[in-house]
Amino acid sequence: MSKKETFVGESKTAGKWVGRPLPRLEDARLVQGQGVFADDYKLEGMLYLQLERSPYAHARITRVDVSKAAAAPGVVCTLTGAELPSISHPFPEIGPGAGQKVEDYALAINKVRYQGEPVAAVVAESRHAAEDAAELVEVDYDPLPVVMTPEDALQSDSLLHDEAGTNRMWHDVFEFGEVDKAFQEALHIVHIGRLHFHRFSSTPLENNVVVGQWNIKEKRIQYFSNQQFPAFAAQFLSPALGVRIDQIGMRSIDIGGGFGIKITSYPYMALCALASRKTGGRPVKWTETRTEHMLASAHGNERTFYDTRVALDANGVITAIESRHIDDCGAYPRYEPLGCIIWAQVLPGVNRLKNIRIDFSQVVTNKCPVGPNRGYSRMQHLWFLERVLDICGHALGIPGDVMRLRNYILPEQFPYTTPNGCVYDSGNYPKMLEVAKELVGWDEWKKKQKEAAAEGRMIGLGIGTTLDSGTNNFGQARIVNAYAPYSGQSKAANIKLDIYGELVLSMGSVPQGQGHETTAAQVVADVLGINPEHLNVRPGFDTEQNVYTGHTGTYASQFAVTGLSAIHGAALKLRAEMSRLAAFALKAQEEELEFGVGAQGPQVSVKNTDKAINYWRLANLVNLNNAELPQSFEDITLNCRYVYKAPFEVPDVKRKYGNLTLTYAAQLHAAVLEVNSETFQPKILAYACVDDCGRAINPLIVEGQVHGGTAHGIGGALMEDCRYDSEGNMLTSTFSDYTPITPMNMPDLRYGHVESPSPFSYNGAKGMGEGGGAPLHALSAALQDALYPRGIVVTDSHNTGDSIFQLFERARQGTEAPVVRVERPRGPR
Amino acid sequence: MYPAAFRYYRAATLEEAASILSQAGDEARPLAGGQSLIPLMKLRLVRPALLVDLNSIPGLSSIKSEQGVVRIGALARHAQLADSELSQLIPILHDCAAGIADAQVRSRGTIGGSLAEADPSGDWAPVMLALSAEVRTQNSKQQRTIALGDFLKDAYTTALANGELVREVAVKVPAKNSGGAYIAFKRCASVYASASAAVQLTMADRSTCEQAHIYLGCVGLVPLHATAAEAELRGRELTKERISAAAEAAMEAAAPHSDMRGSAEYKKVLVKHVVKKGLEVSLRRSRGEQVEVSHEYVGRI
Repeated sequence: MSKKETFVGESKTAGKWVGRPLPRLEDARLVQGQGVFADDYKLEGMLYLQLERSPYAHARITRVDVSKAAAAPGVVCTLTGAELPSISHPFPEIGPGAGQKVEDYALAINKVRYQGEPVAAVVAESRHAAEDAAELVEVDYDPLPVVMTPEDALQSDSLLHDEAGTNRMWHDVFEFGEVDKAFQEALHIVHIGRLHFHRFSSTPLENNVVVGQWNIKEKRIQYFSNQQFPAFAAQFLSPALGVRIDQIGMRSIDIGGGFGIKITSYPYMALCALASRKTGGRPVKWTETRTEHMLASAHGNERTFYDTRVALDANGVITAIESRHIDDCGAYPRYEPLGCIIWAQVLPGVNRLKNIRIDFSQVVTNKCPVGPNRGYSRMQHLWFLERVLDICGHALGIPGDVMRLRNYILPEQFPYTTPNGCVYDSGNYPKMLEVAKELVGWDEWKKKQKEAAAEGRMIGLGIGTTLDSGTNNFGQARIVNAYAPYSGQSKAANIKLDIYGELVLSMGSVPQGQGHETTAAQVVADVLGINPEHLNVRPGFDTEQNVYTGHTGTYASQFAVTGLSAIHGAALKLRAEMSRLAAFALKAQEEELEFGVGAQGPQVSVKNTDKAINYWRLANLVNLNNAELPQSFEDITLNCRYVYKAPFEVPDVKRKYGNLTLTYAAQLHAAVLEVNSETFQPKILAYACVDDCGRAINPLIVEGQVHGGTAHGIGGALMEDCRYDSEGNMLTSTFSDYTPITPMNMPDLRYGHVESPSPFSYNGAKGMGEGGGAPLHALSAALQDALYPRGIVVTDSHNTGDSIFQLFERARQGTEAPVVRVERPRGPR
Repeated sequence: MYPAAFRYYRAATLEEAASILSQAGDEARPLAGGQSLIPLMKLRLVRPALLVDLNSIPGLSSIKSEQGVVRIGALARHAQLADSELSQLIPILHDCAAGIADAQVRSRGTIGGSLAEADPSGDWAPVMLALSAEVRTQNSKQQRTIALGDFLKDAYTTALANGELVREVAVKVPAKNSGGAYIAFKRCASVYASASAAVQLTMADRSTCEQAHIYLGCVGLVPLHATAAEAELRGRELTKERISAAAEAAMEAAAPHSDMRGSAEYKKVLVKHVVKKGLEVSLRRSRGEQVEVSHEYVGRI
């Protein structure tokens, strides 16, 4: 890939290691096949669980007969939904009202609510035996009318959860500023019809895998899995399985991608534990197939935007937006309705917009439950805002780049408080735009676009500005449910000097490919004046290392802030202890000491002398030889745990007001594409991505994350779509149908970096892995730019040659009401 | 994920394989590259009781050119064809072979397997039809030769009798004044095309078409012979307008249905595109130009 880097702004390389593009330490292990993924994990006596899943999207279960399966060779036990109420409880529900009435068990009991929902489980000595036996499970269904769209969900008599009494799981109005006044004073009012953000997923290379063992003698459930948010899963499993949190052990080493989709795997974790208990405590493994993953793991949230009205002034500055949004969370809420507030982290997007009224609902439909897929909830809202901006720009004849410059929050306004109390830490969007335009060759493409248009060719230029808000304040959960016992954000870490002087770090994170081992080593190396390889970073996560809090997991773009702050804090604690010890041992003052590397490796020395003590001797004094130490050193353990707590307050629930996230990384993508006049297939001609994640701990890893996020977004924009037919059959349950993006589909990326250090993190960094879906915004914008002259408005986040052809056909027939209508309440100028 | 239980037999000769298959009847399936069969077995959509593996039979994957006829062994892999010198001689073979799915599929999948599978979306059938290929088959006792057009009976149905296997595929090396191209339009590298066209033109002079062969893939139960499109071209000067008219005629011949690869209406649009492009490239190649084309998809168009 051709590439050009641009660094702008202050590059605070305070440390020797932090800020360097150090190649990832974990890669040698991974590329040599030495990684330990959950499916690699095997235990003596391990059994295999196979699920029988519903072929129907919505049906009553009239009979489940597992007798033939239970009698099949190698089968040890079976589980059916009917048993579950006697051996488990429903999972907790986060939502209030109707949401609290949803009963979500690990297997369907009386009815199934999406195609692929687990109905029965068969546990056998081998995977082959389990699969053979599962075919013998007999289930009779009585199909029910399906609910496939938000309109169906609100209007149909068919309810997914009868006990809830409605398909609408959540509803509230978010209103900030003076919306009505802004519309009264508007020079232009733009009305926009239905916009739709489609359902897609992340399809991590590694599917979900759980190994669960209910150790009956030890009264403990031990998991080895690829669950990416173990503290959350434990809080769902503990009440469902009727065990204390400390009876649940969670472990992972390497995870082949998570992207949020692996947060809601807890029903499968519960099943493995229940099956294990039924077999007398044998370990039970469940390995999801790709088809199961596509049907029944989790998808991203689908959102539809209705009746949007936009007030603008003479310059195209948006003064108010009013709209109605319905989010479709699939068959069970699970992590939802958190998505009903999480979008409000970026309420005005990157704009100075003050007056907003959004009527927000979430409905259940007969589709796979959603999970917090990369860019979760903010991406959908930011796409909406970016569409609004471009549609208004085209309607008023103002180019996309100019519209943005007129609406952006200005660099001098940071820290910027949004209408709902979120505090954007730092940023420089105009600078990012300038860099992106330069990288993509904006001005030259503008000329070429004109020339091409004269030949009947359709070239479009688009910009997507997006936010990757990271380090979430769990207090926002109280806005969706005032009784939710959550607030703040925290992460733990532990670093110790072990008996022979080995420096060992246990991270309280659950890495899935983000290079945590590397960045953690960079941070510790700087604190102790050593090299990253002097540190033994324990890979993966293990509750037994006692480095977790209730927020522990890797999600919500935050490791660079929360994870590294915890590691930094633990390293400083250890350094302080080592310093006291070294001063005693070397008979020196602490101020005279220097941390560094000597002939024998890491050491603490007295400046300008040859007096030094190595790590072995320091550790020896505390761990194995402590009679040498006076009583006054008894508080020193060289085993330092530190919990970082993000500086948050509980939001004002009534006003829906408060700081919901700590850092706001930004991504600005610029795309040039051409719509082929024969095939209607869009082709990317040039692409630039500029990111600003504050201070980059490791620029190489940051760039890698940007590439990954860009690929994911381009896949979502042009290729990937979780499609269902009108009966609720999933049409994209294989990769042949879903066509996930691969490097073969990627354009050349030009990459640029702008650095606006965060004032809210110790290291100036911002979390950045999710990326905010910038390619969806940029490609929708570019496509609209190419098609607007033909009278076509882009209203969907997913566009293929086929769907663009259909847009042309509809435009040709001219049967549909226009998507955009401009009203000039104060008459023509 | 795992297939239902089956027995496995590794045949030493094609005759032996044919004999075992004929005894076992419907319960048995021959295993060539396995790129369709194994995924179907994995999903348990197909459950053969016996697999007869042809992969250890010597000499089945050779590619030979003798007296203007190219003989391609049934087990010649797509990758082998893509890399073969023949690709220089018959560029349409390279267009097809080099773009099938991904490197793993290309190094396992075979031409004989592809033709015998007779998938309506298979890449090889339209290409080989455009080259007027013949299929040499073998049962436990004898061989026979079948024109490919007669070999392909229906979707997933061939003229192969029980216990009869493909031994080789033979095509004549096109004349010097000939040019061909295969264009497949698909959604990504590793999937079947939404529409494809194989074109082979023989020119009377620089711009007058003597003979045209045009076959469409993915838009019918078997590759469709676009005879009306051919008639547009035969004996005529291949102007831009003429090529467009032929592409329009091909579009009329297409009988696609809607699926995840595209709506029926859109597939017709694609037929026009692949035929047009196939004709343009074929024409240039007939004039001795080197033109690189292969399968088209997002990012590679």
